[in-house]
Amino acid sequence: MNALSLPLDVMWFELRRSLTIGRLAMWVVLVAFPVALIATLRVVTETTAIEPIGITLYFLVPEVTCLLGLLLWATPAISTEIEGQTWVYLVLRRSGRRTVLLGKYLTAVLWTLAAAWLAIGLSMLFLGPAASLQLLWVMLVLATLSCLAHAALFVLIGVIFYRRTMASAVMYTMAVEYGLSFVPAVVNKFTINYRLRGLLAHWMDWEMARTRAENVFGSEPPGTHLLVLLAITITFLGIAFYRVERTEYPTQQEG
Amino acid sequence: MIELTNTTKMYGNVVGVNDITLSLPSGAYGLIGPNGSGKTTLINLLIGQLRPTLGTVRMFGVAPSRDRRVLRRIGLCPATDVLYPNVSAWEWVQYQVRLHGIARSACRRLAESALETVGMTDVMRRPMGTYSLGMRQRTKIAQAIAHQPELLILDEPYNGLDPVGRSEMTRLLKDWAASGRGLLFASHVLQEIESITSSFLLIFGGRLLASGTASEIESILADTPQEIRITGPDAARLIHRFADVEWVDSLQLTDGRTELRVSLRDPTQLYNQIASWIEADSLRITRVTAADGNLTALFESLLRHHRGEVL
Repeated sequence: MNALSLPLDVMWFELRRSLTIGRLAMWVVLVAFPVALIATLRVVTETTAIEPIGITLYFLVPEVTCLLGLLLWATPAISTEIEGQTWVYLVLRRSGRRTVLLGKYLTAVLWTLAAAWLAIGLSMLFLGPAASLQLLWVMLVLATLSCLAHAALFVLIGVIFYRRTMASAVMYTMAVEYGLSFVPAVVNKFTINYRLRGLLAHWMDWEMARTRAENVFGSEPPGTHLLVLLAITITFLGIAFYRVERTEYPTQQEG
Repeated sequence: MIELTNTTKMYGNVVGVNDITLSLPSGAYGLIGPNGSGKTTLINLLIGQLRPTLGTVRMFGVAPSRDRRVLRRIGLCPATDVLYPNVSAWEWVQYQVRLHGIARSACRRLAESALETVGMTDVMRRPMGTYSLGMRQRTKIAQAIAHQPELLILDEPYNGLDPVGRSEMTRLLKDWAASGRGLLFASHVLQEIESITSSFLLIFGGRLLASGTASEIESILADTPQEIRITGPDAARLIHRFADVEWVDSLQLTDGRTELRVSLRDPTQLYNQIASWIEADSLRITRVTAADGNLTALFESLLRHHRGEVL
């Protein structure tokens, strides 16, 4: 019972202490910027074609909003405790390390997912005739998958690179998720964004796009994409839990 | 309660704790050493935050870094501050108890009881960002005792406390020790520890230099050369006086010939003679500093004894 309820209690504590004006302002910005861009796009262009609008919305929310949100909430999971000198209080607890990490992972997913879903919902209001129930559910599911997988990735980066956490996470994201994921080689199949784009094209029935840009959208069935995303999420979280149990993080104490 | 066997902790090439062997039954102990002596590294080994590079650490018979269930029996009040400004002590202490796997319903009761013990009931629902240093210190004690551990470890618990707070803390720790539960209390101020317990562990340079009661340590020091520093424009003119007596081990002139360091076994001989020498030779001496006024010098004396440089 504790195994299930403890991470939820950690999440509740983390949410409680996250309720600061600064964090709420960042959350509002995460919601507002894709909505503002979509609204601007609708004003300056008259296209009603679903593909460019869908790709734009996908890029703005499941990729950018989710990545930015998780960079802010998932990546510093350990470094904030080390810098705040509170890590020593957590390691002394019988269930401290792994439970806290899982709770922080869930908190990061919840914060970011809430922003992403709201951004998608509000963007739909500005899309006009291009908006459809299909686009809505695809975006909501992709945002969810993006949050779960990217949060696992950023938590792992935070656990390994606890000194230059943000810089490491940004470098990895730019190099791998926005660089290698477009490279037409085996390596792009191990990136999260490649799998998400593949699911986008498949669920939106964009067969032409898949044919013309196979290295971008892939040709695998959705089951493969989902399986790889699940494997990435579980693997990253598993390594993060193993590392957080074993690593001797500095406790900022002297004496 | 605590068992260390040839425990060594290295940070790269730096020695944090150096070959400590120790077995402590349940009781109250003071861990004393200057800043940087290895007290906190030793505490981190005891709670399993660090794993020994060599040797073993066992708490209540198990290695804390391998079997974390033992942490339920230990409470720690670290030296570092708590920095959750918008969370109340009531919420934080409950959270800390909950992380031990204790049921939610019990957490609230345990947290409130611990906060009452440290006198924080009136302000426990205020955000910690509004607390004084002393209030945060008492909140840290509350989180350490809330889950009712068998061993309480405190690292510099008097930091930031005013005289009233110090008195209350002393009473709390005396009550804790009197209840028969274990207490390990780290400080660099001897008087703080003396007021709680008469059993000491002296640590310096990562080594356990001595352990025992105050009188046992005094007897070690009685056989250990101590350094007296004599400062003044005419300090160098005392050399010929010391050269003629048997109770001086060594002399060292430093600081532009204005400070004379005298290593000797029996400082009382010096105290009996020095005033008459100064008067007879009309010397200008501004200060005489004894080793026991300087904790580092005292520990250096013990370290020489520990290394076998003194028989």
